[in-house]
Amino acid sequence: MDLRETFRIAVRSIRAHNLRSALTVLGVVVGIGSVIVFATFGASVQAAVVSQIGQTSANSIFLTPASIESGGQDGPPGAGIADATRPVFTERDVTELGEINGVETVVPQGTVRLSGVSHAGDTVAQRQAIGTTPAAFGDDDIVDGRAFESGAQEVVVNEAARTAFEQNLSVGDTVTLTLADGDRRNATVVGVADGTRGGLLSQFGPSGPQLYLPSEPFYQTSVEGTTDGVRVTAYPQVTVVAEPSQTGTVADAVRAYTPESDAAALLPAEQTVGVQTTGEIVGQIQEILGQLTRFVTGIAVLSLVVGAIGIANITLVSVTERTREIGIMKAVGAQNRDVMQLFLTESALLGTGGAVLGIPVGLVVAWGATRFAEVGFTLALDWMAFAVVVGVAVGVGAGLYPAWRAARVDPIEALRQE
Amino acid sequence: MSQSTESHAERGSVSPAVTVSDVTKHYQLGGRVTALDGVSLSLPEGSYTAVMGPSGSGKSTLLNLIGGLDTPDSGTVSVGGTRLDGTDDATRADVRGTEIGFVFQTFDLLPRLTAVQNVALPLTFADWGRAARRDRAAALLGDVGLGDRLDHRPPELSGGQRQRVAIARALAADPSVVLADEPTGNVDTETGGEVLSLLDGLHESGNTVLLVTHARRVAERAQQIVHVRDGAIEGVERLEGDAPTLSVADDPTGGEN
Repeated sequence: MDLRETFRIAVRSIRAHNLRSALTVLGVVVGIGSVIVFATFGASVQAAVVSQIGQTSANSIFLTPASIESGGQDGPPGAGIADATRPVFTERDVTELGEINGVETVVPQGTVRLSGVSHAGDTVAQRQAIGTTPAAFGDDDIVDGRAFESGAQEVVVNEAARTAFEQNLSVGDTVTLTLADGDRRNATVVGVADGTRGGLLSQFGPSGPQLYLPSEPFYQTSVEGTTDGVRVTAYPQVTVVAEPSQTGTVADAVRAYTPESDAAALLPAEQTVGVQTTGEIVGQIQEILGQLTRFVTGIAVLSLVVGAIGIANITLVSVTERTREIGIMKAVGAQNRDVMQLFLTESALLGTGGAVLGIPVGLVVAWGATRFAEVGFTLALDWMAFAVVVGVAVGVGAGLYPAWRAARVDPIEALRQE
Repeated sequence: MSQSTESHAERGSVSPAVTVSDVTKHYQLGGRVTALDGVSLSLPEGSYTAVMGPSGSGKSTLLNLIGGLDTPDSGTVSVGGTRLDGTDDATRADVRGTEIGFVFQTFDLLPRLTAVQNVALPLTFADWGRAARRDRAAALLGDVGLGDRLDHRPPELSGGQRQRVAIARALAADPSVVLADEPTGNVDTETGGEVLSLLDGLHESGNTVLLVTHARRVAERAQQIVHVRDGAIEGVERLEGDAPTLSVADDPTGGEN
């Protein structure tokens, strides 16, 4: 029997039971739709996070203390945050790293402990500021004013900090910093930045009020040096900014240097200096988000399985109801494979219908979710293809057994049935 | 009937359309039941035969064997020159589609197909083209007086009309034999008369017709009545002097009764 006729008869049978066919299709729509929603939303979040990191620090190589156990440079970003705050990178390390070929600049970064910040009589509690060097600010980072100068009583604030006071800060204003030890220092606001090239944990999403101070004179953290017992300034994080296209070779050179660095000497035995390029971090984040997406989408696949059971169920009912019809068709010359084809086409149509309707439904819901989460909308084309293939496969797979039963119907028994 | 149904008749009426030879069939129904025991029967082309017998006599089994719905335990069955015993499902499905036309007691049309689609169904399974199927089916429906009901579905037709659609369907593939199983069992007397007139017409235009019934009045329309009882042929009653030869001896091509 030709496929077009099979198709026609199958469509007619489906339409003869409009409501129950619609409900069966709905089951598949929910299944395919949820797969699409989670896959698309996951892909969107992934794309948003990756582009955020990629934009700000494409050529950066991050150095942080990392425990060997947690994987060192291969560990996920943020692993062992306590470890990562150990101040171990000395001025000598910063200088040595800066001398590597292809390095544009080296940005050390540490935490300046505060208790509050005042402006025009209004005090805002602020636990910490970031102590770093002017090199931390790339051309794109400063949105107003300029970077601070090393050794100056100057401060750069982010947008959240600029508007944290009753009177918004503007370039040229003076703020009073209350340090953790109670000292008060005045600093002039010289610029507004929307981030720095340094630091890898400070890059996610819109952050709270942030102040950037020149490490000289504000950053005080020091450790006993490696040689003569003199205390030297040390930072918990160093960011090496490589010249574009040199990131790979610079990263290799940085890795070669770290075993002889002060940081390596200062770190306890179970820790090492972690070196990660932006690309590696992006890769790791992508992998984590990818795993998460696959996990959640896997759960959505469960609902697709339920949809498949719905198709199998309704096709079985259909075979039972139409046993006599099958008998008639066989009596007038239908081959077993004609009967099988007929029922398989029916279930495949239900599955395909579910997929075709499920994709737009899933995309609309996913779009809504990305609006809500304020991330860009990214299509997960591979998952969409997967959903269609699965929809058809689910239809065919779920129809196989019922269709096989239909094909095996004994025409004599069938014609005897009322 | 029109020319469209006459091709088998034109081939002449010498060779038998159906040959059943020493057929035995058992069923497992609680115990072993012998439905047919050494039955032989030959239907010449163009003959009109009725099979009569009480319930459980084996007449339905005989019909199923000739119709290719079942296979005998022993003996041979051939329809239109094709052997049906010892064949696989696919071959018998082929034969059912091309050599046999069924007319059932309960019409058995597919409710969602129109009259013309129902009539064309055997041709659909025989891989006819769409246009050819429709033309053939429309012509046959015209022959049975339903030319104006082509696109009606069975629920929109009366009992008699449905049975006429079923008869048109039985003729669709120009079969070697039309098997009618109690064709008047589900219609009123008047409609039954119409249906029987149609069967008479089939015979007159040269088709081989085998009618199974328990009603004497219906069986009398045929040229001969084969009486079946307890799985064996009890006797053959000739109703017309000029009826073609019908044999029921052990030798299916043998002498007259």
